[in-house]
Amino acid sequence: MPQPSLKRLTWIFLRVGNLTFGGGDPTMAALQSELVVARRWLSAERYALIYGLARITPGTNLVAFSAAAGWQILGWMAAVLAVLAMTVPPSVAVVLLTSGYRAFNSNPLAMAAIGGMLAAASGMMASAAWQLLRPEIRVGRRLRAAVLFLASLGASLGFSMSPIVVLGLAALVGIFWRTPE
Amino acid sequence: MNVILLYLLLLKATVTSFSGLTSMPVVRHDFVENRHVLTDRELNAAVMSGRTAPGPNGLYIVSVGYFIGGIPGACAGCLAVMTPAFLIIPMLRYLGARAAQPAVKSAIRCVMIAASGLVVSATVPLARDALTSPLAIGIAVASFLFLVLTRKDTIWVVMGSAVAGLLGRLL
Repeated sequence: MPQPSLKRLTWIFLRVGNLTFGGGDPTMAALQSELVVARRWLSAERYALIYGLARITPGTNLVAFSAAAGWQILGWMAAVLAVLAMTVPPSVAVVLLTSGYRAFNSNPLAMAAIGGMLAAASGMMASAAWQLLRPEIRVGRRLRAAVLFLASLGASLGFSMSPIVVLGLAALVGIFWRTPE
Repeated sequence: MNVILLYLLLLKATVTSFSGLTSMPVVRHDFVENRHVLTDRELNAAVMSGRTAPGPNGLYIVSVGYFIGGIPGACAGCLAVMTPAFLIIPMLRYLGARAAQPAVKSAIRCVMIAASGLVVSATVPLARDALTSPLAIGIAVASFLFLVLTRKDTIWVVMGSAVAGLLGRLL
């Protein structure tokens, strides 16, 4: 495997992370073409392993993915720089957007536009839930998906159960109730 | 609110979730319901800010931190997003092989299903606050369909919904 310089690797994370919209999946796909296909700094097998582990690492998948890919290619310093490149500049953008929301709070036209965006956020949230559920809606897995989805929704909405408890119980269910691959 | 406490509460939310927005039920539970330092409208705006900016969706936590504690709060939020990411490295070193075990895979799948239920449950109060007119409901439905049926960037949803809201006001 060819090895890049620390500066070049950080630049890739900085560029991909700050120019790709749409969250983790499109960004990880862009990183795959940069790191695996175009530059061969990471093997396809390692990419797949890191991608899978990022899914089960607590927190944001994309940030965990960046830490692991950086570490795999050039060690701890690269992991830290990849995480910083992936989070700090977009965080500045988030703060600017949030302060814009506060500044325009008293302007009726701005609030109409913001009202439209807030309505869209509900649709975005619902689509995020659908993207999580969709892979499980297939023959042999539907019953488990339906039971767990309704149980977690009911436990949270109806009984205000802590999300951590709901997720822990779901993991336990998964260990004992297995479905075909 | 004390910045360290804010960091620890945001860290609790990020460390107990397995993707960007699945931390939202914990955030809402802690800051909206228990401590009353954030409103549903602000949480909605935070989600929107996080999804509008490039990078991970989980950065809405930075916006939550900013609403509660200004710039120091935003820094606490950014740190809370970064901290759990490094857990992957020991996992990559020692647990990589076990991720393929059927029991572990099955448990992860069930966590993702339960997370989808929790995200819907967190969407309900946000929708109640934001969907107050037929236009708003239309925008929400159109956004959902757009994101489910296409692979386009969310920036188009954000811009389209802002224009629709503005036109609704002007017309």
